[in-house]
Amino acid sequence: MAAVVRLNFACRRGLKPLFLRSTLLARPLLVSHKCQEHPYQLTTRINALHVDSVSKAASRHWTAERALSVLLLAMGPVAYFNHGPIVDFSLAAALTLHGHWGVGQALTDYVHGDAKVKIAKTGLFLLSTITFSGLCYFNYNDIGICKAIALLWGK
Amino acid sequence: MALILRTFVRQGVLLSRPQCGVLYRHAAPMGTTAKEEMNKFWDKNAKLNRPVSPHLTIYKWSVPMAMSITHRGTGLGLSGAISAFAVAALVLPESYPYYLDLIRSLSVGPYLIGLAKFGIVFPVSYHTYNGIRHLLWDIGKGFKIPEVYRSGYTVIGLSIITTVALLSL
Repeated sequence: MAAVVRLNFACRRGLKPLFLRSTLLARPLLVSHKCQEHPYQLTTRINALHVDSVSKAASRHWTAERALSVLLLAMGPVAYFNHGPIVDFSLAAALTLHGHWGVGQALTDYVHGDAKVKIAKTGLFLLSTITFSGLCYFNYNDIGICKAIALLWGK
Repeated sequence: MALILRTFVRQGVLLSRPQCGVLYRHAAPMGTTAKEEMNKFWDKNAKLNRPVSPHLTIYKWSVPMAMSITHRGTGLGLSGAISAFAVAALVLPESYPYYLDLIRSLSVGPYLIGLAKFGIVFPVSYHTYNGIRHLLWDIGKGFKIPEVYRSGYTVIGLSIITTVALLSL
């Protein structure tokens, strides 16, 4: 729009250098008009043409993390009202996985370098495996997570 | 027209922010991922032994900033506590009720149990409420700065109320 106004101004003045300027001004006008037409079409075409499998996996992981968080939130009230092995083992699984993924994100933020990352991620995997085993052992051989927390407040 | 489409359709040159008026006429195809780029950055700068500019030590702390690291801190702390509990369950010979009665019989028993209750309730409350705040951000709600502060103070308030309520039971 501004380019069109400038063109008119230049024409009225009728100076030679301005004739050259007007063609330069015309170009931005053309380009921006094209951009207004095409960005949505371009992005949809790009998305359709090439989405990297790594980024797809990362995107799915992100969604899974949020889904698990919501599931864990829902488990809270259920665990409060229904003590029992199903809730105990579900809680053990959900808590361990949520913690595993959460610590994994912190590792990604703070640990750099291929070797260090590999060592850290392996250590985390071992820790999570031991954690899940320990919680399952506790649920099976002892009183279970729900009852254990309830006992702190005296049955 | 075809030129625009051809240049933009190159691998990796994704229009995250369509910028009008900027034509990448001779864009080279990008074959690296974000992860590879980050690794290259760290490898090069660590090898050159470049010092890192002060950031945490000089930047003014804000409530959202402090709440964010607290969310991470409570998360890591709770994960550690759960892992420690699991290892204890595997290693210790006696049952949970046995050890609980043992602690209760000590003179510092009530304080230790109170400490354990606080150590569970406050981090779990804060992490849960702030977690809900995060999930709301994930669906796009509450990004305006006044909203960020309002939801933040709500989380802190609810955490304190929940802790006081559950610890007085």
